[in-house]
Amino acid sequence: MSRPAAESHRLVSVNRPAPESHRLVSAGRPAESHRLVSVSLLGVVEHPALGESPYRIDIDGAPYVPAGDGGIVLGLRLGDSAFALSADHAAPGACLIHPDPAARHALTIYSCVGNQAQVRTGRAAGAIGAVIGKRGEEGRVIAAFRQADLARMRPSDQVSVRGCGQGLRPSGFPAQVTVLNLDPGLLPALPITAPAAGTGGTAGTGGTAGTGGTGGAAGAPGKVRVQVRAIIPGKLAGNGLGRPAVGWDLDLQLPPPGPGGGGDVLLGDLVAVTGIDARYNMGYRRGWVTIGVVVHGSSRLPGHGPGLTAILTAPERALDLHADDVHHVGLTEAMLKLQ
Amino acid sequence: MNVTTNSGRLVRQVLTGEVWPPVADRHAYRVGPDGQPFVLPGMGGVTLGVHCGDPATGYACDHLEPGASVRHRDPGANMALQFLTCVGNPVRVESGPAAGEVGHVIGQHAYVLVDFPEPVLARMSTGDDVSVTACGQGLALADHPAIVVKNCAPELLASMPGGSRPDGTLAVHVAARVPPEAIGAGVGMISEYANTDLMGAYAGLGEDLSLGLEDLRIGDIVALADTDHRYGRAHRPGYLTVGVISTGQCMLFGHGPGPSTLLSGPADAFRLVDDPDANLARWLHAEPQDAR
Repeated sequence: MSRPAAESHRLVSVNRPAPESHRLVSAGRPAESHRLVSVSLLGVVEHPALGESPYRIDIDGAPYVPAGDGGIVLGLRLGDSAFALSADHAAPGACLIHPDPAARHALTIYSCVGNQAQVRTGRAAGAIGAVIGKRGEEGRVIAAFRQADLARMRPSDQVSVRGCGQGLRPSGFPAQVTVLNLDPGLLPALPITAPAAGTGGTAGTGGTAGTGGTGGAAGAPGKVRVQVRAIIPGKLAGNGLGRPAVGWDLDLQLPPPGPGGGGDVLLGDLVAVTGIDARYNMGYRRGWVTIGVVVHGSSRLPGHGPGLTAILTAPERALDLHADDVHHVGLTEAMLKLQ
Repeated sequence: MNVTTNSGRLVRQVLTGEVWPPVADRHAYRVGPDGQPFVLPGMGGVTLGVHCGDPATGYACDHLEPGASVRHRDPGANMALQFLTCVGNPVRVESGPAAGEVGHVIGQHAYVLVDFPEPVLARMSTGDDVSVTACGQGLALADHPAIVVKNCAPELLASMPGGSRPDGTLAVHVAARVPPEAIGAGVGMISEYANTDLMGAYAGLGEDLSLGLEDLRIGDIVALADTDHRYGRAHRPGYLTVGVISTGQCMLFGHGPGPSTLLSGPADAFRLVDDPDANLARWLHAEPQDAR
């Protein structure tokens, strides 16, 4: 896994190390980002689109108008509840597409969480934001901006994305742990910690994922420590199953929080889904777990819900996995320098 | 099935389609569960040698579609063909050496899937025109208002065992019960189109991929636990969906043998009867009814 130090800065990118004050867990273990390339991708801010009927049908057969599905959504931010709005798949920021279907897939697949996004045209030209996730089907990149910048943007504005991250093999991670869809510069800011020095590459063979505790401690020997908001059984995975995790999000069929429901999840939270292997297509594999970022809000559409962009997938035995529904902090605006 | 329906008030519509070719792109390969690249047949065209009652898995195949795979060239007309055609509807071949032969619909998979006797299939090919006498959408059970029926020809429902019971439940014979962990690609889509791929049926691959579904057969009637397909396809504890396995072996991860939806509603509205013979091969007419 380890590479010669001389190669460790060949990344031609704009990786922005997270401010020290926002590093949640033991930093100083930079991602091994050597030999990754960055590509400049062109996105265009999407206009929401509907068919001839304005209605979608919810799980009980009630028609509804799907507000907030794509395009620019104002007033919704990382840290807000995924159930905050009466909306359909609402994402915090602007959705980017490309008019050519193949280029749109490339834009979606090569864009990674944490990549820089810069507005090129329109009244917000020059504004800088960041990729926070992606969505499937035809492909969409979700980019967050400061609210003042977002308010000056409009559909058809051009946004360039500095795509970098596919192929990342973080230093010290066991070989069984696959990282995807993640900007190398963002990894040290997230509650994901490589095994302590000297134990990397030899994941333990026993034990199962934990369900308690808090983040911040060093990982168990040989294991990547991951702290999430919640650990969710794979049977709640919805739209996105059977699709490639580099190009689709995975919707979670979660009940709204509250009495009789489950706990809340916030946009930007890390969430773990058990029994799902996301190395290629996303699908059922006993003993595996997939970690993702919550990138869009809930939906009334059957089989849909808050969406997860996968960033890490591994056998459970290779992880030291903890859920903390009180103290968890996932992807934040501060990490992305959007405050 | 001994149950009161509105079948006398359903319309029958004549639809057309053609046997659609298999399609590929120049990159050829797709990727399996462990990253294995593969090039395998299965979707589109005329697939020989697999019929209702035969094993669904165990073939060197991806997205096995038994029999003839049918679409319409016009996109809007194709959606009507896919939505309105129901399992059990008769399909008549209109052109080519098999013209005049009649088969029956066994499911949808973004194609209408039509099973014919093997000698008939052997004379069919891509481009053959077919007519479908579509009937079944809107079928309702007067004594079971919580159960939604879809994609089911009245004649198929009538030929299935089971029916209304004194306690108000609907008895349905099923060949297998499917756990919610098996639901794969197709969840989140509307339940009148394509089908639900079942994971955990990768015959010959890793044990950690198995959910014990490798013995499914084409045409099996199966029950999907904790699944609500009344207005789409969703996970929902306390609900149940009954479908028919219309597609088979997959190598593509997150995919697998797929049931087309027939019945869905609250689980307590059903009484499941485990019956290894619950398969279209047992109930559909050996010589499908004449569609002319």
